[in-house]
Amino acid sequence: MPEQRYLDPEILAGISGLDLLAKTVVEGFIAGLHRSPDFGFSQEFAEYRAYTEGDDLRHVDWNVFARTERCYLKRYRGETNTRLTLLVDASASMGYGSHRLTKLEYARFLAASLFYIAHRQRDAAGLIVFDDEVRNHLHPSSRHGQLMRLLHALERIELGERTDFERPFLHFQQFLFRPGIVAVISDFYEDPQKVVKTIEPLRFRGNELILFHVLDPAEIKPGFRQPVLLVDMESKDSMEVSPEYTEREYPARIDAHIEDLSSRAKRAGLDYCLLDTSRPLDHALREYLVLRQGRM
Amino acid sequence: MGLLSPWFLAGLAALALPVYFHLLRKHKSTPVPFSSLMFFERRQQSSIQHRRLQYLLLFSLRTLLLLLLVLAFAGPYLVTTQAASSGGRRLILVAIDNSFSMRRDGLMEEARRQARSIIGGLRPADRAQVISFNRQVSLLGDPTSDQAELRAAIESIRPGDSRSSLSDLVRALGSMARSAGGPVEVHILSDFQKTSMPSGFAELALPAGVTLVPHPLEAGKISNWAVESVVAPARVDDRGKAKITATVAGFHTEAADIRASLLINGKVIESKVGAVPAGGRAVLSFGPVDVPHGANRCEVRIDGGDSFPADDRFLFAMERSDPVRILLVHEGRDTRSPNYFRTALEAASEATFRLETRTPQELSAVSPASFGFVVLANVSSLPKDFEGTLERYVREGGALLVAVGPSAAARGTIPVAGGAVQESRYASRQGERFLLVDWVDGAHPSIESANRWEGIKFYQVFRTEIEGARLLARLSDQTPVFLEKPVGEGRVLVLASTLDNISNDFPLHASFVPFVEKTARYLTGLDETPGSLTVDAFYPLRRVGGRGGVAEVFDPQGRRLLDLAETTSAPGFIVASEGFYEVRRSNGRRELIAANADRRESDFEMIAAETLKLWQGTGEPSAQGGGALPSQTRRRPLWWPVLLAALLAALAESVVAARYLTVSKEGA
Repeated sequence: MPEQRYLDPEILAGISGLDLLAKTVVEGFIAGLHRSPDFGFSQEFAEYRAYTEGDDLRHVDWNVFARTERCYLKRYRGETNTRLTLLVDASASMGYGSHRLTKLEYARFLAASLFYIAHRQRDAAGLIVFDDEVRNHLHPSSRHGQLMRLLHALERIELGERTDFERPFLHFQQFLFRPGIVAVISDFYEDPQKVVKTIEPLRFRGNELILFHVLDPAEIKPGFRQPVLLVDMESKDSMEVSPEYTEREYPARIDAHIEDLSSRAKRAGLDYCLLDTSRPLDHALREYLVLRQGRM
Repeated sequence: MGLLSPWFLAGLAALALPVYFHLLRKHKSTPVPFSSLMFFERRQQSSIQHRRLQYLLLFSLRTLLLLLLVLAFAGPYLVTTQAASSGGRRLILVAIDNSFSMRRDGLMEEARRQARSIIGGLRPADRAQVISFNRQVSLLGDPTSDQAELRAAIESIRPGDSRSSLSDLVRALGSMARSAGGPVEVHILSDFQKTSMPSGFAELALPAGVTLVPHPLEAGKISNWAVESVVAPARVDDRGKAKITATVAGFHTEAADIRASLLINGKVIESKVGAVPAGGRAVLSFGPVDVPHGANRCEVRIDGGDSFPADDRFLFAMERSDPVRILLVHEGRDTRSPNYFRTALEAASEATFRLETRTPQELSAVSPASFGFVVLANVSSLPKDFEGTLERYVREGGALLVAVGPSAAARGTIPVAGGAVQESRYASRQGERFLLVDWVDGAHPSIESANRWEGIKFYQVFRTEIEGARLLARLSDQTPVFLEKPVGEGRVLVLASTLDNISNDFPLHASFVPFVEKTARYLTGLDETPGSLTVDAFYPLRRVGGRGGVAEVFDPQGRRLLDLAETTSAPGFIVASEGFYEVRRSNGRRELIAANADRRESDFEMIAAETLKLWQGTGEPSAQGGGALPSQTRRRPLWWPVLLAALLAALAESVVAARYLTVSKEGA
């Protein structure tokens, strides 16, 4: 499917309101799929399950009961709900953007779109915003109004200080006691080993983990043509950098970092998705849906 | 290698600019925020030095550009030595001074001897040319290697009466050097008087390719007495008395009593003794003396003389003539015009002019040619014969004053001058209404002493239209009241009013007397003949563009100076030597002009040796003593290749600067 069918991130930046933005992205994305992922409202039969006490009698297949005198519940695809928890990195480095969109804004759009999909599928969705500690936490829920709360929380995200995965992850591990999908949206300026080691324990609780690695195109290939004085947005350190270095050595080092993070994540059973802020969101959404489908 | 304008090297101070901007000014970088420096290393902090190293090429180019520009303005040149024969054969110019001061004893002989010596030293490949110079340069033959021809040219040189001028010689050398097509070596044989130097030394700058070898001729004693000037009237009236004053000057002399005599036509009339201070002057007054009738050859001479007698006398001419006859034509009823005119004329110069009055009816036997000028005082008509004769008289150099009154206006035209009387402007004397003079040409001889005609009341004037006339006075209503028109060799003055105290009150004003006298002198030409001239002066024979009357000129030796065609057309002649020149005009008039050498030639002080050396330095370096020149040095200017290099440096700087200094999007 050609990518130009999807809205460019810079165009998305012109849409006011995350709800409208998420709806625009998701509806456009879904319209392009061959098979509707709208499990919740599909009439497609999924499975029969024996009735257990406490099940809703409305879902009992009375025709089967008439023939077999046993109670079975008929389940459809849309009824296989899950929990989506998004961990959004709000450290200072996420404020970088070489074009109109910063990484944090891209992360907002992505999170909003994922929340919208979850909302349509009646999945519970929750949000954790962190930098070197947890800044905001919304428990996953599928209740009415949860989407607006999540979007509102996304809009209120402000850039914090530096990234520290250990402290916030230790903190919110206690909230993720029910299995679901956990997506971490970050630029992962940290040692890949440390990142994977910190996040990996979540998987042991039955969670499906996906790492959305958000990078600006200028971070992948800076392309400075003359020496510049760079200032670290987190540490505020400065450094004179020659164009030769940024052209030859830096790309190799960032590629090695990405490769290391990707391979370590896969080895640990984590899904990894590298996102370029200059590209549309469909790649991230597709990754999520594949993961979501795998859980059913 | 040298520099023509080394003071431009001060521009090298501009090199401080690139040094400051590239090396001294502290580098400032605009910080660029970046998400993380995790993948950058500290070792890359040498980028500033790296950048400076890159900019060193730009710095070098800018410095080089400034350096080359300053060098180009400083005018670099390369001194190259060139074989004398390579640019053509060498031309030896032998320039011998034949000015008035070279008349001193033995000086010209010494010049000839040295000239012969120079000619004798010529190499077979050399060519030589002999020239003489004073105010003018004379070429005595073409460049040649023939010794006999050159010696003959040297022997033909005689001292003249002109003054020497080194600047005129240098100008002539410039054109000779250009036409020679090779190196020129000039040997100047002269007494090198200080007075022959121009006012500005720059005029002595030798042209390119000319080498100067001066040969100062010293006569030893430089003290000299001379009659510097004489003040005497050129024309003496019929009473024949004249006062003469002479200035006797001593150049580098001791104080002495000098006796000088006045001679008229060779006869000593009077002698005087004057005390002349050391190196000073004394004024001797003669007379009043009786001057004989006719043109007289006069001189003031120092008695006893000195080593240079040529300037011990000063010639001048004085003419005593009968009073100049003036013819005034008036109507019979008009007796006032002749009276006023005569009274004014006699009051001014009693014996110089004699007025004769006639009515038109009495003109049949009168010839205007026997009069100095003719006055037509408000005449209505003239006999036809007389009018034709009068016009011919004016065209051949005569003069006419026409006063236009009511009678003349009735005639309608102005005699001889042509033109018409357009209208009469009448202001009424009885009503005390009048017009005043608004503008006069104060430089005109008739008006210059007439107090600008202030206060003269004109009651009646006649507007005249005369083609080609020069306006001399105008009334307040813009009516021309006094005009002059040249007719042939003569001139016509037109007064658009009368001389009778009726149409105006001019005859009653004090300015009337000088007006009449100056007009009479102007129209008779009495003031035009000078008593004496300086040699090399121009004596005009006729007005510019004039043609007609014959003027024969005889030089001091009595030879005719002009050929037949020139006697009728030559505008004048140059007074070339001392003595008396005689001009005989077709109307029978004789003019005697005395010519004296320029008295600056009497000062024998020589140019200092240092100055001569400085003069030599303005040209190419030369071999001393007139010897052979083995080689010729030339200055080859280098400014244009330096400027070309500066242009290339500027182009390279633009390319390098465009590469380094382009504002990149990332760096912004």
